[in-house]
Amino acid sequence: MGYALDFAAVLRGLDQLLWGLALGLIMGLAGLAVGSAIGIVAALAHVFGPQPARTVVRLYVGLIRNVPILVLALFAFFALPQYGIRFSNITTFAAVLAVYAGAYLTESFRAAMITVPQGILDAGRSIGLTGSGVALWVVLPIALRNALPSVGNNFISLFKDTSIAAVIAVPELTFQARKINNESFRVIEVWLTASFLYVGTCALIALTLRRLEARFPKF
Amino acid sequence: MEPILTIRDLTKSFGTHKVLQGVDLDVHAGDVVSLIGASGSGKTTLLRCVDLLEQFDAGEIRLDGELMGYRLKDGRRLRLSGRELARQRSRMGMVFQSYNLFPHLTALRNVMLGLTKVRRLPASEARGIAEYWLDRVGLANRRDYYPSAISGGQQQRVAIARALAMEPRLLLLDEVTSALDPELVQEVLLTIRSLAEAGTTMLIVTHEMRFARQVSTRTVFMDHGAIVEEGDPAIILGKPNSRRLREFLSSMSN
Amino acid sequence: MQSFLDVLALSSDQLLHGLTITVAVSGVAVAAGIVLGALFGLALTYGSAVLAFPVRVIVDVVRGTPVLVLILACFYMPAGIGLSPGPLTAGALALTVFCASHIGETLRGALLAIPLAQTDAASAIGLTFAQTLGYVLVPQAIRQIAPNLVNTAVEIVKASSLLSAIGVGELLLTTQEIIGRSFKTMEFYALAGGIYLAINLLIATGGSWLERRYRLR
Repeated sequence: MGYALDFAAVLRGLDQLLWGLALGLIMGLAGLAVGSAIGIVAALAHVFGPQPARTVVRLYVGLIRNVPILVLALFAFFALPQYGIRFSNITTFAAVLAVYAGAYLTESFRAAMITVPQGILDAGRSIGLTGSGVALWVVLPIALRNALPSVGNNFISLFKDTSIAAVIAVPELTFQARKINNESFRVIEVWLTASFLYVGTCALIALTLRRLEARFPKF
Repeated sequence: MEPILTIRDLTKSFGTHKVLQGVDLDVHAGDVVSLIGASGSGKTTLLRCVDLLEQFDAGEIRLDGELMGYRLKDGRRLRLSGRELARQRSRMGMVFQSYNLFPHLTALRNVMLGLTKVRRLPASEARGIAEYWLDRVGLANRRDYYPSAISGGQQQRVAIARALAMEPRLLLLDEVTSALDPELVQEVLLTIRSLAEAGTTMLIVTHEMRFARQVSTRTVFMDHGAIVEEGDPAIILGKPNSRRLREFLSSMSN
Repeated sequence: MQSFLDVLALSSDQLLHGLTITVAVSGVAVAAGIVLGALFGLALTYGSAVLAFPVRVIVDVVRGTPVLVLILACFYMPAGIGLSPGPLTAGALALTVFCASHIGETLRGALLAIPLAQTDAASAIGLTFAQTLGYVLVPQAIRQIAPNLVNTAVEIVKASSLLSAIGVGELLLTTQEIIGRSFKTMEFYALAGGIYLAINLLIATGGSWLERRYRLR
């Protein structure tokens, strides 16, 4: 029994797919922004903070990196409302994504911070900067630049993870693709297209990253 | 007159290895003391202890009479808090062998950082002071350049300006030409000489024997963590007394 | 109203079954993924253009596609060519290919990083290519990618939770069914999270233990 490729249904739904793709990118960027804020604070706390802070950060990272995002998202979307915390599915997922991203970005920033050469730290101390002065005015700016490649790779993973929002009915690309699949039964065309859109977007992101890394190379 | 820096019985070990064996040293205003010796003799460790970058096990360091790094409480030594250490460090300047300029800041901003963040000066005033010191080391036209865009010799001179902008009581120089290509060494040595002629108090760890003889008011020879000979550079470097110093000098000239 | 512990006692069999499916599917995907991934890696590094190119395409497409999309594709697409593999098979296939692509790419990196001098030395003492590969290159590469394998296994366990979207009765779907009956939403999602955490910590610990054991070789 042959299967004749017919992209008509997919093309009709193309703008829904593309809007879904855009939504995924927006959620990814929001997750990256908030996640980076979390990551920077957590990394600073881990590298320069007192022991209790270090433990809290390690617990956060250890917990979030070992639990599936879907479980976190379902927990946030279905369990938290019982305690009065109720937001839209998009907001909830974006928040979960930010917390998830934060755990990975903490490691990115932490690695960048601890590789700042000891001599630079000595120079900072020798002009009279206190520990927090060295952390904020010397280590942090250097680490932010040096963490760029790692942060960029994390963003690509994050963007792919936005597909999981489909499970809680967020109308991003995967959700739309499944909808077209169920309505038109063009099973091969729709998933080829969805995959192509993801692969293409990731490739474009990677290209942009490489340009950024060339413009802002590591110190 | 009171010495600016007095070091008494400074002792430090790294694990079981005793790196400084009770060092005594005085540095008066205007002194240019050159510190020579083989690698591992403790010269760099001594400098780092003075700048409070390392803790030391016994002895005391006083800057203008003030006890540095520790305070005495009921006869026990207590390390000062981070904040107090930072304040004490700001009164000394240090220039490192590998320059250690802040890579994310231009030359001007490298010099300004201490002025704005430590001395809390407004940016406009800090900029004026920074520009003065960059000009003093001959790099006014490089002020907007990043460290990666200037030569090693130029980076080292920016590092000197950065240290001096804080108006330290004394300047510590740790083998500041050892990492430079030979043709870049001169510009840094000339800068240091002009500072010496202007009366800057300096403690210089160096391998450049001829330079030490020309510029310093006193030379100190260290070996295995102790001061072996000390005195007029012409005598120390020209007619060494101890066998170890003679061996060291002959190994240097080979 | 039953307490959480009451419901837990009643559903423990069900949860255990779900957990077994999770561990089994993940285990199969990792094992098969290692084998397939090794083939991918070798093809990418040493294969002729005719062999390396299609593998390159597969690996790049799989790595650029979210796991959920891979799972849904493996679930829905076979109908188009007249096959109906069922959710468990489809899911295992998707996870295997995902795992293999990742391992293949990592292996390629590790093999390429081995200095050429090693290959030269091997041929100088008369080893054939196959022997060089087996005795010199692959062992070094494996040691290089071992920590990575632990991370990949953890990712596969987490990805197995997505199989709930195509109806596979693994841990997450089972949890959702229990919640549907008992309404103990927070407790059971927290429990599920805790179980995934425990599995992955075990994997990480096992990985470090193995690494320590084989380090002196």
